[in-house]
Amino acid sequence: MRAMVVEDEPDVAEDLRRALEAAGFVVDVSGDGRDAWFQGDVEDYDVAVLDLGLPQLDGLSVLKRWRAAGRQLPVIILSARGDWTERVEGIEAGADDYLPKPFKMAELIARVRGLVRRASGRPSNVITVGQLRVDSARMTVELAGVPLRLSPLEFRLIDYLAHQNGRAVSTGELADHLYGAESASDANAIEALVARLRRKHGAGLIATRRGFGYVLEGAA
Amino acid sequence: MIVRSLRWRLLIAGGIAIFLALVVAWALMMLLFERHLERRVAAELEQDAIRVVAGIAIAPDGRFSIDEPPADARFQTPLGGLYWQATWRGQARRSPSLWDQALPPPPSAPAASEWRTRIAPGPFEQRLIYLERMVVPERGGAPVLVQVAQDAAVIDAAGREFGRELALFLALLWLFLAAAAWLQVHLGLRPLRQIPGLLAQLEQSPSARLPDDGASEVRPLVGAINRLAEAREQDLERARRRATDLAHGLKTPIAAAAAQLRRAGDDADHVAGVEKALAAMKRVVDAELARSRVAAAGRAAGRADCLATVERLVAVLERTEAGERLVLDVEISPGLIAPLAEEDLTEALGGIAENAVRYARRRVVFGGAREDSSVRLWVEDDGPGIDRAQMARALERGLRLDESGGQGLGLAIARDLAEATGGSLSLSRAALGGLRVELGWSA
Repeated sequence: MRAMVVEDEPDVAEDLRRALEAAGFVVDVSGDGRDAWFQGDVEDYDVAVLDLGLPQLDGLSVLKRWRAAGRQLPVIILSARGDWTERVEGIEAGADDYLPKPFKMAELIARVRGLVRRASGRPSNVITVGQLRVDSARMTVELAGVPLRLSPLEFRLIDYLAHQNGRAVSTGELADHLYGAESASDANAIEALVARLRRKHGAGLIATRRGFGYVLEGAA
Repeated sequence: MIVRSLRWRLLIAGGIAIFLALVVAWALMMLLFERHLERRVAAELEQDAIRVVAGIAIAPDGRFSIDEPPADARFQTPLGGLYWQATWRGQARRSPSLWDQALPPPPSAPAASEWRTRIAPGPFEQRLIYLERMVVPERGGAPVLVQVAQDAAVIDAAGREFGRELALFLALLWLFLAAAAWLQVHLGLRPLRQIPGLLAQLEQSPSARLPDDGASEVRPLVGAINRLAEAREQDLERARRRATDLAHGLKTPIAAAAAQLRRAGDDADHVAGVEKALAAMKRVVDAELARSRVAAAGRAAGRADCLATVERLVAVLERTEAGERLVLDVEISPGLIAPLAEEDLTEALGGIAENAVRYARRRVVFGGAREDSSVRLWVEDDGPGIDRAQMARALERGLRLDESGGQGLGLAIARDLAEATGGSLSLSRAALGGLRVELGWSA
């Protein structure tokens, strides 16, 4: 596994390098934005840890250029500012995760591992329902070729429905699956979740079979 | 004595000037009045004098007499106050009022063509007004000196009376003019009196300015004050920016120190001590940044699209450890606009949402609607909620630094941001069972 650390403060960069190496990564460190952009564009990394305040070219611009060039490596952003506006901008620029400084190294390593696991799943387990394409390993969903932005919970709901081959699933069963045993009274939450998905991605996504439950329809 | 009050200076100067002007006016009017009286008296005397002239009779034997002298009773009464006398070649004829006295001859002979008026002492120690003229009764003959006189006491009495009344009137006039001057000063200085009130507004809000539509004399002052306010605001802005830069600048060194510590530390006690100190420094920095954000939010108006802001925030929350297991529901009417910058709304809602996500069981609902003229935004969770006492505490914690962990800072920042932009934050029990945090701005 190759990881890239983009951080201009040498102490922090060194700390990150050691921790990631200890976690089994091969680590390259870049100290400025221009270099990082170039490195990330020509080398194949499995994950990047990107600081936002960089000399030459700021972190957000680096990320945007990578994404514009089609580089899909998972990126976790580190930032000194830690305000919500920056968090929102980071996620919109295509970051996969965000961690404000100062952070706990163990948390960073856990998140990096999670990102890598999600991204490296083999794309064999793909189910197609209508115009919907659900990739269980990569945890991605496309509707008519357009990737949907889904929360993990939303993904788990669609993924579960996709695996039912057109069988209607009751809210109780969904709650059991999504929340586990202690789900007795969570039907409302499931209904709210379905309502939100329909509002975001169209009413044709999930159909209701009265008396039976929900069915994935996959209409755009 | 130095008078400190501008108003009293103007009033005293005005009062003295008016008084002097009125005194001069009084003197001039007295003079004019006396001259007028004299002319009136002279005109009356002239009627009597003409009677005397008309009565001049010179007999062929050289006897000189006045026929049908003026009939006024005062000519007949000794010391009557009215006298006539005609003198021809040493012979003098007089009114009975002169008794055994005579009018003194004039210091110079008057002209023959017209009457001459003068005031001079006369008999009986009276001051007299004389009307005199030389009359030539026959061609080539000796001239007759005709004198008619009246006691000047009449004029003096009238003059005194007039002077008293005039003085009284002028005193009243002085009072009136002084009151007018007071009113003038009062109105004239009003723009100056308004300035302290306006300056108080300036004190409250650094971006306020004095209105520049006052009197032209006050405008330079207002302009100078506004320039001063401008400079002050810029100084404040600079100071804030420096504080912000300082806070940002400190964050990375804190992270670096923490990194060094991890590598160096075997002595667990010392490491824990330094880590605590670093955490405290981080809280100071965070609080300072929050404070500068709140200060900046109050200065500029903004328009934030509530639905778009919340959706972007939800996209971030869904990726957090606490948020990814929750249903984050958004029920906000499209086109709802809150009166603050989008960035500030993001921070305010971010702080509230972080709190809600931390305590929620399954769901967090972001709601928003326009009610009458006010904009309401709320965040509800289905967590355990908090009781009234805790609600009060959650907000009063505020930006104080001595609290541990920085939890609750989010709610306090949200409240400060709402209040800085003219809104409010309130806590109540949510329909879902947990906490409901509501932001409201009334338009």
